[in-house]
Amino acid sequence: MSFWFELAASGLITGGIYAVVALGLNLQYGLMRIMNISHGEFLMLGAYATWLAYTVLGVNPLVFLPAVAALLFLAGLAVYAVCFRPLAAGAPSVEVFEARSLLVGFGLMFLVQNAAYLAWGADLRGYSFLAEPVELGGARFTENRLVVFAFAVAASLALLAVLRFTLVGKAVRAMMQSPTGAQLVGVDTATLHPVVFGAGLALAGVAGALLSMVYEVSPSMGEPYTVTALIVITLGGLGSAIGCLAGGLLLGLVEAFGMHFTNPSLKMLLSYGVFIGVLLARPRGLFAR
Amino acid sequence: MSPRRAIAATLAAAAAVATLPWLTSDFALSLALTCVMYAGLTVSWSMFSGVTNYLSLATAAFFGIGAYVTAWGLGTLPYALLVPTGGLVAAAFAALFGAAVLHLRGAYFAVITFGLGELVRHAITYFEKTYAHTVGRVIVDVPGSTAVFLTVLAVSAAAVVTALAVRASRFGLALAGIGSDEARAETLGVGARRTKVAGFALSAFFAGALGAAMAVRWTYIEPNSVFNPFIGFQTVLISMVGGAATIAGPLAASVVFSLLTEFLRLQFPYLFLMLLGALLIALVLYLPGGLASLAPAVRAWLARRAAGDARG
Repeated sequence: MSFWFELAASGLITGGIYAVVALGLNLQYGLMRIMNISHGEFLMLGAYATWLAYTVLGVNPLVFLPAVAALLFLAGLAVYAVCFRPLAAGAPSVEVFEARSLLVGFGLMFLVQNAAYLAWGADLRGYSFLAEPVELGGARFTENRLVVFAFAVAASLALLAVLRFTLVGKAVRAMMQSPTGAQLVGVDTATLHPVVFGAGLALAGVAGALLSMVYEVSPSMGEPYTVTALIVITLGGLGSAIGCLAGGLLLGLVEAFGMHFTNPSLKMLLSYGVFIGVLLARPRGLFAR
Repeated sequence: MSPRRAIAATLAAAAAVATLPWLTSDFALSLALTCVMYAGLTVSWSMFSGVTNYLSLATAAFFGIGAYVTAWGLGTLPYALLVPTGGLVAAAFAALFGAAVLHLRGAYFAVITFGLGELVRHAITYFEKTYAHTVGRVIVDVPGSTAVFLTVLAVSAAAVVTALAVRASRFGLALAGIGSDEARAETLGVGARRTKVAGFALSAFFAGALGAAMAVRWTYIEPNSVFNPFIGFQTVLISMVGGAATIAGPLAASVVFSLLTEFLRLQFPYLFLMLLGALLIALVLYLPGGLASLAPAVRAWLARRAAGDARG
């Protein structure tokens, strides 16, 4: 019994991270049609920032979390201003913008990932933080995994609350439902777009900071998370934040149980299988009505 | 240029390039091989994706499938037979996959084709590990470098000729119609689904055949090297640089890029890829039509100069 509990819990822990990564990407795509394929690269930057702060300055990673979010938010504003604002201004249609922003995303991915290789090398870096095991409901976890799960879920719920209860959140949801309608009632696209893009990267950075407490950090760590985030978005439905959370947790569980019943080296195969399966069977998401 | 004259020019150029093995050093020949390979890949890519605006990142998958056909078949089948077989296997795979996913548009299509490459790579890695107990395959008894060069050249030239022929045909017009407005093309009687699947498979045939032809260049084949997403990105990048809707643009750009890659990638691997990324961004932002979109401006400038000279 406790074994199944442990398996399910470890699936949910991974799934919580997936949800945070995917939420950021979903905001960007849902609102601006930017399929930011370099999303995982910014997760990697968040992980490196946390690792640097801990090993060089001795800053507690949890305390550093808001700083990571702020840093990545600013980076997001800059990236938006340099790349996506002129792109949006110059594209003749949404479809063309989507294709071009995808290519820009690939360019950013090359740029950021190789800059990280140049700066820190290809070695795996890591640090030990809250690595003591604790007993919970008959299963054993290291403390840091529980902390990571708590923070991931808290961040997702906080975002859901912002979207649901604040005026900014309302504006964002309005833009997702009908860009023209939202503009007609006075939602300001010129501020909302960069802010939401920055918020998406901030979420990626937070996910990276959380991951660095548990796993090792390397320049290529981000790419799989981009793909996973895309899968989660497909599962949960475009533009749906709550679907994202559910989809992330679901994918974590599917991976944990799938790997248990088959083979750990099948993990990627499993995720891609789920991805292609969902895209073919329910292209608008599992929870779409 | 009329299609017939363009095809004749292509064949003449290919015949001239075919003399290279007897004229140049081994190093220059291997450079030329890379150029010719990317020329074939980019032209076959833009044959479908450039015209229809379905951005496919699956080139690496088709290339890798072709390479694995050679890796498995070499020793039992002759090389000359393996190359078209690799192409046919890749085309069959593309037709199956395309029939399933070609109703997706925009970023979804791009992402799922990228996922496809990764899926095939992981599947082959797993399959090899479990059933063949190996991760890579050593290729022995390979044909000489002249034979490889001529084969790759033949496939690439065939790709260019096909692209030219397709562009002038009803089929090519149907593809272009899908690219500019799919719904309208359908009302005008284009079987969009069939046309897309056929175009996708045709484009995959050349990528697969090139993979099969190039496989013997590496003595050791493993999924991570032949399903390298870099091949797919480079292909897209070159086509975009050259101007994805044209044929001459990607051809010229592939020569420039392959030379750049060969010289820079080994010496400054990270810096080179950073540069590539920055270039891709700059290009999409400031020259979305590619180098080919400069051609009319250059031509007008030349005409004005000629007129000025005549008067002066």
